[in-house]
Amino acid sequence: CHALTTLMGRGGHVIIRFALGGCTNRPFFRIVAANSRRARDGKYLEQLGCLDPLPNAHGEKVAGLNLERLRYWLGCGAQLSRPAEKLLGLAGFLPLHPMTVTGAERLRRRRQREQQTEAAPADGSAETGTDTGTGTGTGP
Amino acid sequence: MAPRGSLLLLALLLLSCALPHARGQHWSHGWYPGGKRDLRTPSDLPAWGPRAVPARGRKTRHDPPAKSKVGRVKMPPPVDPEELLVVQERYRQYRLVLSALRAEFRAEVLQKKREERLIAEGLPEELEEHRRLMAWNEEENGRQRARREERLRREEEEQKRRKSEIAEKQARKMEAFLEEKEKEVLQLQEEAKNFITPENLEARIEECLDNPRNYNFAIDKDGRVVKRTVLS
Repeated sequence: CHALTTLMGRGGHVIIRFALGGCTNRPFFRIVAANSRRARDGKYLEQLGCLDPLPNAHGEKVAGLNLERLRYWLGCGAQLSRPAEKLLGLAGFLPLHPMTVTGAERLRRRRQREQQTEAAPADGSAETGTDTGTGTGTGP
Repeated sequence: MAPRGSLLLLALLLLSCALPHARGQHWSHGWYPGGKRDLRTPSDLPAWGPRAVPARGRKTRHDPPAKSKVGRVKMPPPVDPEELLVVQERYRQYRLVLSALRAEFRAEVLQKKREERLIAEGLPEELEEHRRLMAWNEEENGRQRARREERLRREEEEQKRRKSEIAEKQARKMEAFLEEKEKEVLQLQEEAKNFITPENLEARIEECLDNPRNYNFAIDKDGRVVKRTVLS
């Protein structure tokens, strides 16, 4: 595998992460295998793909991955950053990340709770309206 | 004249410095017009929304905390224990799969390196040999697996049979036990008819007194009861 030249002293490992590029209000990520002690946007070993975080005209977020080289680097013992793990999980290359599932569950539960709270006041107001209507109707 | 003139100048200076403060503004709120205080009600801009001007104060991170924060205790965010258990289990399985994938990829990389090395050394026969041996190894593995599965299946059946036998034995024992107990109970019930109860007491006493029994008898060497002796 790649002989890791130490930057200063000892330490540092290969890591697959996102390097941010682009312009103001227009981010763009490159999926990159780099030494962990390099700057985020600094010199990397190899680019393994890219990700456009903003949805396109069809509402899709487009990402490109070089799976062959990914396998090579993972076989060489590269680590993954959490966003990279999540992206690969969604892509199907790795299993789905636990926090993706947990996040989805939490969102669903929150939406259900909001729906219920919306329904309850709506029902309450509707009931009070009907009650007052019937009361006044049956009254003198 | 000169000191009075200078005094007048001083007074004018002070006035000019005080005048801006009459507007009632503060630099952290932004200067009017257009600053943070500019006719902005809390309703049309929520507190957590993005601000036109950043909310950073005048202090750096090296300044000590304020007096109002002296008694402040920072608590960690609340954690739902059920969710935590579920999430930990998910993480465990995820890491298991991930390490297995890494091992596979590592094997691939090593294989490729070996092949390249062999090709570089110019020995295709060795490559062929290696591949043949690997195939043979796979075959052997397959056979061993079949045998192992067979053995495991047989052992499982054996175990099941033994378990069923034990269960049967247990059932039989329980039945026998129950039968014994039933018999004892019936016997007791029967004997209960002969018991002496407070109601029977007087009757039984009368009966015993009416029928005196003689327990004086002799036994010869064979164990038979001898009611009649030579003397009588």
